[in-house]
Order: sequence, then C-alpha cells, then structure tokens
Amino acid sequence: MPEKSSELVQGTLDMLILKTLALEPLHGYGIGLRIQQISRGVFQVNPGSLFPAFRRLERQSLIKPEWRATENNRRAKYYTLTEQGRKKLKHETREWETQTAAIARILKAVPGELG
Amino acid sequence: MKLLPSLRAGLERLLHKQRTEQELQEELDGYLQDAAEDKMGAGMAEGEARRAARVELGSAEAVKEEVRSVGWENRLETCGQDVRYALRMLRKNPGFTIIAILTLALGIGANASLFSIVNTVLLQPLPFKNPSRLMMLYEGLPQIGSPKIPFSTPDFTMVRRGQKSFDSVGAMQDKEFELSGGGEPDRIIGARVSASIFPMLGVAPALGRFFRPEEDAPGQNVAVLSYGLWQRRYGGRPDIVGETIDLDRQPYTVIGVMPKHFVLPLPGPQANFLPAALWVPMAFTPAELQGWGLRYDLSVLARLRPGVSLQQARSDGQALGTAIESQYPPDVLKDFYGARLLVPVFPWRQEVTGPVRPLLLVLMVAVGLVLLIACANVATLLVSRAAARKREIAVRRALGATRSRLLRQLLTESLLLALLGGGLGLLLAYWSKNTLLALAPADIPLPQNVGFSGGVLLFVLGISCLTALLFGLAPAWHTAGGELQPGLQESGRGRTAGRSHHRLQNTFVAVEFGLSLVLLIGAGLLIRSFAKLLHTGLGFQPDHVLTMEVPLPAHAYPQASQIRNLYQGLVEEVPNLPGVKEAGIADDLPQRAAVFHTLELEGRPQVGKPPAVTETWVLGNYFQTMRIPLVAGRFFNRQDGPDSPPVVIISQAMAKKYWPGQNPIGKRLRHEENQPWITVVGVVGDVSDGPGTQQPRPHIYLPFLQLSDTLTADNIVGVARSMNLAVRTQTDPASLTSEVVAKVHSLDPDLAVANIAPMPQLVSSLLAGPRFNTTLLGLFAGFALFLSAIGIYGVLAYAVAQQRHEIGIRMALGARPRHVLRFVLAWGTRLACVGTVCGIVAALALTRLMKGLLYGVGATDPLTFAAVTLLLLLVALFASYLPARRATKVDPMIALRCE
Repeated sequence: MPEKSSELVQGTLDMLILKTLALEPLHGYGIGLRIQQISRGVFQVNPGSLFPAFRRLERQSLIKPEWRATENNRRAKYYTLTEQGRKKLKHETREWETQTAAIARILKAVPGELG
Repeated sequence: MKLLPSLRAGLERLLHKQRTEQELQEELDGYLQDAAEDKMGAGMAEGEARRAARVELGSAEAVKEEVRSVGWENRLETCGQDVRYALRMLRKNPGFTIIAILTLALGIGANASLFSIVNTVLLQPLPFKNPSRLMMLYEGLPQIGSPKIPFSTPDFTMVRRGQKSFDSVGAMQDKEFELSGGGEPDRIIGARVSASIFPMLGVAPALGRFFRPEEDAPGQNVAVLSYGLWQRRYGGRPDIVGETIDLDRQPYTVIGVMPKHFVLPLPGPQANFLPAALWVPMAFTPAELQGWGLRYDLSVLARLRPGVSLQQARSDGQALGTAIESQYPPDVLKDFYGARLLVPVFPWRQEVTGPVRPLLLVLMVAVGLVLLIACANVATLLVSRAAARKREIAVRRALGATRSRLLRQLLTESLLLALLGGGLGLLLAYWSKNTLLALAPADIPLPQNVGFSGGVLLFVLGISCLTALLFGLAPAWHTAGGELQPGLQESGRGRTAGRSHHRLQNTFVAVEFGLSLVLLIGAGLLIRSFAKLLHTGLGFQPDHVLTMEVPLPAHAYPQASQIRNLYQGLVEEVPNLPGVKEAGIADDLPQRAAVFHTLELEGRPQVGKPPAVTETWVLGNYFQTMRIPLVAGRFFNRQDGPDSPPVVIISQAMAKKYWPGQNPIGKRLRHEENQPWITVVGVVGDVSDGPGTQQPRPHIYLPFLQLSDTLTADNIVGVARSMNLAVRTQTDPASLTSEVVAKVHSLDPDLAVANIAPMPQLVSSLLAGPRFNTTLLGLFAGFALFLSAIGIYGVLAYAVAQQRHEIGIRMALGARPRHVLRFVLAWGTRLACVGTVCGIVAALALTRLMKGLLYGVGATDPLTFAAVTLLLLLVALFASYLPARRATKVDPMIALRCE
C-alpha cells in the first residue's frame, strides 16, 4: 500500500461508489475498502467524504439503504444500486470514457499531427 | 435532483430526527469497528487499532455534521435556530425591540394604507366586464380652447347612430331628485342612464332587472336602486322590487337593485362624476332631442368593438365630428367660430384616475421617504447595538462561525424585526384607513370600498423584507465582518468605540436629514400655497350667511309664474324673521359659479373667441346679503321686472376687460343675435371664483324676474328651479336654520330643502382638497422630522456615553464645559448640514412632481427652501444640545474611575 493515496478527481467519488455497488450491495466500510482494493490502493477514501456521498446518492434515489446482518453477525446498513442508479452509472461511464479518451489524445499529441 | 423523493426524504428526516440520528451513529460505529477489526487482522493490537481507526475517521461529529448538511431540510433547521436565537436576542433588549418595531410599524403602516388606496385607484382595473375596452367620448373644439366638452343630446344621438367602432354607446347624466313616499322627503343624487349602459358594463343586478331598451323613452317611469339607498331607506327589503316610489312627485316603479360595490357614475371625470343613489332611464324628451347647441352635459360611454383599436376609434371620432357638424343649424354652428368639431375618445380608466394620479404619486413618494427615514433610524440603532455585541460576535467567530453564517443570523434578526413591524403596520393601516378616507374630500375620486386585498398583504410582506435588507444589511455586514482581534480587544476596558461605528451612524443620520428635508420642503410648499388660497380675496363676506338650496319639482311648478312667485315670496318673507337682516336668491353661490355664456357686446366686432363670462341670476337683496360692494351705478330693484327694459350688473373685471377706461354704465350686450340688448346699470366688486383661480373672471348678474318665461318653465333648464337662498343673520347663521326652513315650508310644505350650510363652511369645503394634501404631507413630514431628531439625538447620546472616558480625560486636562458643548454641538450640526445640502439637491429634483398641487408658489420657492432648512438646522441643534449638555456634566473623576 503506498503511503500517499491520489486525490480523487472532483465528482468521481459518486461514480466509483455506484460502480462498486453495481457489483454487489455493500456497507459503508466495505465500499471504502473495495474502492481502495480495486484501485490497488491508489484511492483511499476518507469516511468524511464517503458518508455525505451516501446521503447524497440516497437523496437522488440512486442507491437504496437496507439494514442487514454482516458476516460477523452485526447489523449494518447495506447500500444497493437502484434502477435509476444503474442508468446513471451507465451514462456517467460513457461520459467518462469519452472524456478520458479525448484527454489522452490531447496529451499524446505530437507536433505537426494536424498539419 | 428529483424533487419529490428529496422532499419526502427530507421530511422523513425532520419528522424522525432521533431515529435517523441513531442510525447515522450506528453506521459510523459499524465503520469504526470494521476498520479496527481489519487493522487487528493486519496484526495491530486492539487498542492501537481502534485509535488508528478513529484517527482515520477524524472527528465523528464533523462527519455527522457533513452528512446532516446534505439536503434542504438542514437549511430549514439552521433557519429555525436563527429565528429562535433572534427572538431571544430581541426579548433580551425590550427597549430597542419596541422602538425599532414601532418605528417600522409606522413607516410600513403609512405605506400600506396609502398603497391600499393606490392599489384600488390606480392599479386595479375598473370593476366592470373587460374594462380596458370601455371608452369615454367627448365633443371637442380644440381650436377655440375646448378640447373636452360633454355631449349635447342631438350630438349624442348622431354619434350613436353613425359610429362604427363601438359595440354599444350610452349616455349618463347626474340628476338631483326629490325622493318622497314612505318617509321624509329626501334630496338625492341620481342619474339618468341609457338602457345600453348596464349591459355594456356587464354587472348583474343584485335584485330584479335593468331597464329594457323600450323603457328608455319618456313616460316609462322605472328606477333601479343602489344597494346603499336600498339599505338606508328601504331596510334592504327584497319586496321593494315592484313597489312604487315618488321621484320629483312622479310615481316610479322600482325594477331592480344593484350589487353592493357598484358605483356609477365613477368619480373623477369633469362632468357627471357624482355616484348615483338610483338610476332612471335616460328617456330623452323631444325638446332635448331638438336642443342643438343647447346643453352640453352628457357623459358618453362606449365599448370598443372587438378588433378595433383605440387609434381607429379616434380617427373614426374625427369623421363623426364632421358628420355632427354638418347637421348643425347654421345659426348655432356660428358659435363654433370656424373651429372643427371632433369626437375625442379616451379610455374611461384614464378619465377616472387622471385627476387623482399626481396627488397619489406625490403621497406615495412621501411615505416611501418616511419609510427610508425609519430604516435609517433603525439602522443607527442596530449599529449602536452592534457595538455592544462586538464581543459576542467575536467569540462566536473565534469558535468557528463563518462570516456568512453570522450575516445570516443578523439578517434573520432584522427580518424578524421588519416582519413584526410590518404586521403591526398592517394593523395600523387597517384601523386608519377609514380615517384617511374620511379626511379625503368628496371631490377627490377615492373609492368607498378601499379593499385590503391579497395585493396589499403581498405588498406589506415584500416591503417588510426589503426594509429588513435596507436597514439590516449595512449594520450586519459591519458587525459580522472586520478583524477578529480588534473585536475582542476593542470591547475590553478603557477603549473608546470604534471609529467605523460612528462613520456608519453618521452616514445614516445625514441621510435621514436629507430625506426629511425633502419631505419638509414638500409639505412647506403645500402649506404656503394653502395659505395663499386662504388669503385670496373673496370679494364677499361669508360670515353670518346661511345658505340653502330650494329646488322646485317641475311637476308641481310647471309655470314660470309659479316659480317666480315662490322665490319672490321667499325673499320678501324671510327678512321678516327675527334675527335675519337680509335675504337674496341666486342660481349659483359665489365660488360655485360654473355657468359660462358667450356674449355679444354692442359696438364690438365679433372676431376670434367671443367674450365668455360667468352668469348668475339673482333675486332680492343678493348683493347686500353677500356684501358684494357696488362700485358704480345701481343695484337691481323691484322695477326690473319682466315688462321693463332688460338690465344687467357687471363685475369690475368685466368692466376692465371689455370697456377699459370707459364708463360701462349704459353700455349694452346681448346673448345672441336675435335677442334684445341688455343695458348695464351697475358695476359690483369682483368675487373670487374659488380656490385655484388667480384672476377673477368676468361676471355678469341678471335679474331673475327678467328670465324669460320659456327658459324659466323649461323642463331642461333646471337652473331656474333650483335657486339658492342666502340669508344674512345677526347671530350664528346655523341657529336660524329651522326658522328659515319653516318659512320655506309655510310657502309649500312639500318642498325638500337641500344643502343647508353656513357660507363659511361652503367656502372652507372648497379648500378640502388642498387641505387634505397639506394635512397628509404635513403629517408625514412632521413624522420624518421627529424620526430624524431622534436619530441625531440617539447617535450623539450614544457617542457621548461611549466617550465619557475621553471627555473625562479632556476635562481633567483642562477642557472647559463650553469646549465640550461646542464639540458635541458641532458634531450634530455638521451631520445635519451634510444631510441638508444633499436634501436640497434632491428636493430641487423632486418637488417638480408637485407642480400640479401648488397654487401661487413655485416648485423651488426660495422662501420655503430657506425656512425649512433653518427649521431643520434648529431641530438638529436642539436634538444635539441634550446630549451635549450631558457631556459637560461628566465628572472627570467619576468618568475615570468607573472605567
């Protein structure tokens, strides 16, 4: 695990949470952990941003909370992706791909490419 | 964001606050536990793992606060907190709170009550169906200076037949009736209206029906009552419809009653503006229909045909004028002196609101200024209080409140003050509205039913919020901002208050003075013109004169000889009453004369505009009764009867204008070409034509006994049968009322005497309009002056209290009381001077608005400006003197010790 994690690009946390939940319903700690694992430790999400993000997404009806028992037999709030959330994720992903591809092209541009 | 789910979730959280809080806590706990377990799994000791997890989370409270701040309901909550806190602060300072609320209540209340009038009069459409299509038509001869003349009957019928722009056209005419049958005889104002008028307005009767078109003909005696008359005289009995009432001793059948708020004619336009108590069909008589060039006294209403623009109607009106002209008998047409007759068209609303608009706008500006002054006053209070709260604010900022959060908090307090003030102001306005309307003279077209509609409530709400921003923003910005350190230090011991407080307060006070000056100058100008009105030479002596109108119903007095006999009998009998010195009769009382006639003067060629004069028919000792002095020649006497040569008495103005430098006695004049010459036998002094007219108009007096039989008995010319009796008494004229009325009834017990009033009262009632303007503006200006005085007093008193220490040191170092006095006085005067200079500039720009309300005084009258400025400075000096004197009483020892 690297000492310092990268800053998340503004506004991408919501998308990452949605993606994580698209794989399976998870509780708060699980989501943070999953993001960290999948990103191979590049992103370490601060709970101070994570929880407000949950509340925000819940408000937009993109995720749905549900109290369930964990594997350690504790009660925990699991979040599930809603149908709207799924749509939103799809849309955001496409958007993101278009943008990153464009940015990548710009960054790789060599002199005289358009000339 | 989806609105509905967000709304639901927010509400849920507000309603189940405890549960959501618990769940949040549980979620965070779970997170901590998971994190700690993970760390233990990675080999940490339990205690260490837990600590590490907690460090990772940071402050749990901060996280919770972040989570809570998601969603709208959070803002609602902080707002609730702000309100609660603000209420606590206001309760803690009852003195400040009460003064601020009262000041605002008066300011907002004045605005609300005036707005309720403006709203009804200027902003709301006329209360009829599709009112913007309703037009008022006139005849016009702009080339000879008469752009708007009411219609004569034949001309109206021409328009009704020939027009193409209107769906319907109708005429109305005020008419006084003697209402009898079922109770005391009563003089009432009614109106003759065309059958087309009611359907045109689209108002349904409350009871019964309107006139049918076939009822708009002579002999069809039907009447529609107003709601007021129905309630007052008939107790609101529904079976009144179908009953018979007597109008001018003729039976009329009541066929309907109009709804409560129906008013017609509407006040405002120049003719036929008296709201009627009942309506009868217009029913033109054959004589009226043939009266070419005779009586121009019909108000004509019309509804524009759909798709026809005002512009089109106006150009059609020109053609109509030409068509009417072509029908005129040539001998009448020559009175136009070649001017082209037009039919001008104006929106009815404009005719109704036109006369009152400038007054209302001036008053609206005035109350606006009063409110601004009230704002400035409350703002200075807030700044003073801000100084006292400096430490509280500094502490709160040190504890992490952001500037915007504090600003919101302070503005909430201001808003609360303004809303409380606004609520109280609304109550004040509601209570005072009847007083205000009662003050208003009858000839100002104010509606009887000024409503407190939703519009007024919205206005008060809006103006309260605006007010809160106005008086709250600057002090709040000032209080919430600034550096932290000085805030904590400044309020410590031994320091004088910050200079910036004073700067802000000084500005407010200067602004107050400037605004007050504008108001005072406005009021001053009105007072000056009112004084001029009062001192216009009347030309007669109104004191000890009792007047009353003695109208003779045409039905009971069909013959000219009967009319003459009755009036002649009156002027002979009344002087025999004890306490009566003299009596006379005239068709118009002084200052009311409104009948104009054109004349032909012997030996003077007819070119351009004909001589136009005011004409009065007199009988008995009218001149002696009114004390109108004889300048030359003689008064009328008994010999000036129907069979003797016609004679006339003219006014001095008439003599000067038409026979300058000659002896007018023996000169001759006549009304029209084929009529006999009338010889001038006397010249009397000029009588004022009422307030607002500077030069007396030429006036002729004719002996009533020489009024021709046809004119006297004519049903149309009501003048000869509604003469005014004037009685000069030895004592208080009102005390003889019953004796004089009894004398009238001894001649005819059925006569209804109308408009009984001592002449001084009539004279002063003509001043009711100007008095209304002057009183209101004076009231507002006085209030403004009072507020400004309080403002300057408050600022200086506060400053002196804050600077006791400094003053103490100065005095300890040798300053004399008069130095201190001068210092404080100079401060106050400086503020007033700055305000005054700004105020004069503003007043120069604003008083132009008032030109129409002034009489004999320019809008920039230097005397008024100077006097008001002096007054304001004196008030400032006085208001500064009290705190200044307190400053000189500072005992240096005590001042230094108490620190």
